[in-house]
Amino acid sequence: MAMDVAGYSRTRGLLAHAVLCAGLVFMLGPIVVIIASSTHLTSTLQQQGLQWLPSNQAIQNYGRIFSYEAGFTDQITPLGMLKNSLIIATSVAALTTILSLLTAYAIVFFRMPGKHVVFWFVLVTLLFPLESRFVNTFSVTASLGLINTHVGMVLPVLAAALGTLFFRQYFLTLPKELIEAASLDGAGPFRFLKDIVIPLSFSRAGAIFVIAFMIGWNQYLWPLMISTDDSLYTLVRGIRLVGQESGPGMALIVITILPPFLLLLVFQRWFFRSLAD
Amino acid sequence: MSKVQLTNVRKTYPNGAEAVRGVDMEIDSGEFIVFVGPSGCGKSTLLRMVAGLESITEGQIQIDDRMINDVSPADRDVAMVFQNYALYPHMTVRGNMSYGLKNRGMPKEEINQKVTEAAKMLRIADFLDRQPNQLSGGQRQRVAMGRAIVREPKVFLFDEPLSNLDAKLRVQMRIEIKRLQRRMNVTSIYVTHDQTEAMTLADRLAVINDGKIEQMGTPIDLYNNPATLFVASFIGSPQVNLLPATFDGQHLVSGDVKLPGFTDLPTSTDLVLGIRPDELHLDDNGQFPMRVDIVEQHGSDNLIYGGILGAINEGDEETEFCFKAGQDMLPELESTLKLGFNAERAMVFNKESGERLR
Repeated sequence: MAMDVAGYSRTRGLLAHAVLCAGLVFMLGPIVVIIASSTHLTSTLQQQGLQWLPSNQAIQNYGRIFSYEAGFTDQITPLGMLKNSLIIATSVAALTTILSLLTAYAIVFFRMPGKHVVFWFVLVTLLFPLESRFVNTFSVTASLGLINTHVGMVLPVLAAALGTLFFRQYFLTLPKELIEAASLDGAGPFRFLKDIVIPLSFSRAGAIFVIAFMIGWNQYLWPLMISTDDSLYTLVRGIRLVGQESGPGMALIVITILPPFLLLLVFQRWFFRSLAD
Repeated sequence: MSKVQLTNVRKTYPNGAEAVRGVDMEIDSGEFIVFVGPSGCGKSTLLRMVAGLESITEGQIQIDDRMINDVSPADRDVAMVFQNYALYPHMTVRGNMSYGLKNRGMPKEEINQKVTEAAKMLRIADFLDRQPNQLSGGQRQRVAMGRAIVREPKVFLFDEPLSNLDAKLRVQMRIEIKRLQRRMNVTSIYVTHDQTEAMTLADRLAVINDGKIEQMGTPIDLYNNPATLFVASFIGSPQVNLLPATFDGQHLVSGDVKLPGFTDLPTSTDLVLGIRPDELHLDDNGQFPMRVDIVEQHGSDNLIYGGILGAINEGDEETEFCFKAGQDMLPELESTLKLGFNAERAMVFNKESGERLR
């Protein structure tokens, strides 16, 4: 009997591992190809396509990419793009986290008429991604004079229903006695937020920060629409300028995926804990 | 040392549900008052109205002659202990206990001194730097009490504080709460559905039913002289034995059971006879033939349960009595005992209104 159970779980274990390995290959394959290709000569890539195995051109490729100048009048370098990307992604991440935390706080802890309606409106925005409201958003942004600015690239992506939903679900699990105890302890809405809610939400805020950072970092279409000034290029857009089938281009792609990856590494403990709870 | 006064206090929810229907009460300085009643009777709502966590629809609540209806919970000078402790999970024990004082702008040294003092009193001084999730249920409960104590409030409010503890700890903490309250002499209101807790803790007990005070008095007074059928059946463990009956002018009659010794009762009304389990005794001439169903041995005494033969029954079930006897009384199951009682000590209620008739 015991043998049967053990045998059953071993087949299941093997099967599970096989599925996981397949997934791993599927997801890591492209990254391996990019990293390996970034160490080849541009001519190799153009003649033989992308490469699975590394070569010896890493130093040249990575060295050259930082001195590369692109744009109509060469006004942008990869370092400039990195700076733009960091400014936009960090602003999106920080502001989204703060905004969705405050929205959820208001929706959950305050008694106000129509707050459920407000919450449903927030949720409905999930059905309308930025791309579906480009025209309106563009005209609003233009009328605010935010064309060709970082603010213009950041503002429209801030209203993230996902973060609000995420914080709301968490706040709903907090016992209502907590706010009652705090109010007896002389903590008003601001102190309750500062002393109780924010410290308790820290790991969750970390997760939202990472997700929002990715959203801000990976933006392509919106920055493309809103900027005509080449000095506002982000890394994700800059890849196109350098060229995908060149060694330095591949190196730029590697540099582009690195910051979100490092961020995830730093935050991963909080990230997974808060998603698993 | 503070008096609390409730005058015609009412709570009606926006949907029309009435949780509290006109409560008048005067609580003396240093008194320990227990609100007891079944769940949903409004006892917690009433307590939360004193705390300021529920608005007052009508009436007045005063602490030391100061009307507090519209005063915020923080400024009422009350402290509350919650059933689920409601400790701040990310703060240490010290942080939890000092938070209320810090918000009131008390100097750090004074806070430290008060926290240390209270922690010693509650025997949690060794845990001051731990977080709530590293403590047992009993320790968390002590921290919750510590948080209330350091505030030195005018009134302590307890909302079923022992319900989440296991039976043994509950008894221990019950004694400790009583001792603390005696020592600090702070006016206290304690809500519970557990009548043993209520009986043992209270200076005075308020039995609440359906949003109203059914009866208020010392525990022993309520036990001996319940004003209504509800109070009689709620107070006392094991529960009072109840027998539906009518009065024929000389006897209380319940089916074949005829009980002498009663006078001055209405003849045309349905009545209920109430006899405490310890008021029954073995008697060869006893009027109650009881078929033994279950014997519970509690150590010092045995509780013998069984149906009363021939009595009127409600529905299909026989009217069941509980007889409290000594530990050597071990009748055979299904045997029949003859039980007598002292008519002087028995209670009679109007079945319809619940009012006590004698």
